[in-house]
Amino acid sequence: MLRGLGDLESAIMDRMWDYRQPASVRDVLEDLRRDRQIAYTTVMTVMDKLHKKGLLGREAVNRAYVYKAVATKAAYTAELMRTTLASGGNQAATLVHFLERLTPEEAAALEAALEVFPPKGRRT
Amino acid sequence: MIAAVVLGLYAIIATVTLPKLLAQAQWAERAPRLAIAVWQAACASVLTSPVLAILAAVVPASVVGHGLAGLFEACAEFLSDGPGLSSTAVGVALLAGATVAARISYCAAAVLLRARRERQEHAEMLSVLGRHDRALGAVVVDHTEPMAYCLPGRQSRAVITTGALHSLTPDQVAAVLAHEQAHLRGRHHLVLAGAETLIRAFPHVPLFAQARIEIARLIELLADDVAARRHPRIHIAAALVRLATGRFPAFSLGAGGETALTRVRRMLHPADPLSRRERMAGLISVAVMVAGPAAVAAIPGVSAFLAHHCHRLFLL
Repeated sequence: MLRGLGDLESAIMDRMWDYRQPASVRDVLEDLRRDRQIAYTTVMTVMDKLHKKGLLGREAVNRAYVYKAVATKAAYTAELMRTTLASGGNQAATLVHFLERLTPEEAAALEAALEVFPPKGRRT
Repeated sequence: MIAAVVLGLYAIIATVTLPKLLAQAQWAERAPRLAIAVWQAACASVLTSPVLAILAAVVPASVVGHGLAGLFEACAEFLSDGPGLSSTAVGVALLAGATVAARISYCAAAVLLRARRERQEHAEMLSVLGRHDRALGAVVVDHTEPMAYCLPGRQSRAVITTGALHSLTPDQVAAVLAHEQAHLRGRHHLVLAGAETLIRAFPHVPLFAQARIEIARLIELLADDVAARRHPRIHIAAALVRLATGRFPAFSLGAGGETALTRVRRMLHPADPLSRRERMAGLISVAVMVAGPAAVAAIPGVSAFLAHHCHRLFLL
C-alpha cells in the first residue's frame, strides 16, 4: 500500500514536470484516469502531501488550488545527488563510491593503471 | 594492583601506537575482512581496559579469592553499606563503567537515528525522482554525473545514475551493482555506524579516529572482493576508473584518489590470499585484544582463588 502511494507520488510529479504550467487536482485526475481507476480524493490527498513536502507550490484560484512544480526534476535530482555526496560525515546513511574527488593527476594515474592491462575482455 | 597498572598503561600506549602499527600493516589489503575485525578488536580493548583497570584497582583480590560466595557476600555488604569493600572506591569503578557504557549508547543512538532519518528522507525523494529497474535490480536516477551508491536499511536499494549507465558497459554495470549489493548484504552501514559512534563518543582518541578512516576504506575493498567472486576483476577495475574519473575533478581536495588507485590496482593485480599462519596470527590477535583485558584483570583474583582453595593441591 505504501509502495503504491509512492508510485502515485512519482506519477503525479512526472506529470506536473511535463505540463510546465500550473494544473488543478481535476486536471491531474483526468490525465491519470487514462491509465488507471483513481478517486478524486486520493489524488487530492497525495498532491497535498507533495505540497507539504515542498515539491509542489499552490495558490487558490476560484476556491480551488492550482498546483505547480517548485523546481525542475533535474534540479531536484542534482540536489539529492549533491547531498548524497556531501553526507560523507555520516556514512552510515548512504554508502557512496568515492566520496573523495580526484585531481586531474590522480585521474590520469587511474587511467594509466588500466591502460597497461592487456585489453582482453575489455570493451570501451 | 599490578593488573590495574598493566591495563592502564596498555590503554594509554595502545591509543597512540596501535593506529600507527595497524595503518602500516601491508596484509590488510589482502584480507580486508580480517583487518576490519582487528581494528574493531583494538577499539574494544582500548575501551574495556581502563574500566577493568579501575575495577582491578578497587576490588581486592582477596575478596575474589574467597570464592564466588565471598564475592557475592562482599557485594551484598557493599549494597547495604557494609565495611567489606571500600564503598566509595567500588562506586567510582562502577560509575566509570556506567559512564563509558552510557556515553557509547547515547552516541550510538544519535548516529543510528540520524542515519535513519537521512535515509528515510532520501528514500522519499528517490521514490519520486527515480524508477526501479527490475532487470538491474536497482533504482535508476536521471543524472549526467556517473554515480553509484547504496541506501541501506529496511528499504535497502542500490542506486545508479543514467550517467553511469551511459559511461559503463553492461558488464561493468553488473560489477558495480554487485559491489553495492555486497555493502547491503554485509550490513556495512552498521560497521561504519559503530566506528562513527566511537569517534563521536571519544573525539580525541587517535585510535578511534584512524579506525573510522581505515574501516571505511577496508569496507570498500571487501565489497570489491565480494563482487569479484562473480564478476571478472577487469570489469570492476574498469568501472571503478570510469566512476572515479567521470566526475568533475576537485582542485581543492588533495590526497583523495589513494583509495581509488588502491582499489583499481587490487582488482588488476590480485595479491595472494593470506597464508594459514598469517590468518591464524590475525585471528589470535583479535582474540587477545577482545579477551585479554578481562583476563589480565582476572589474574589476581584467580590466583588468590587458587591460593585459597587449592593450597592442599599445592601441598600434595
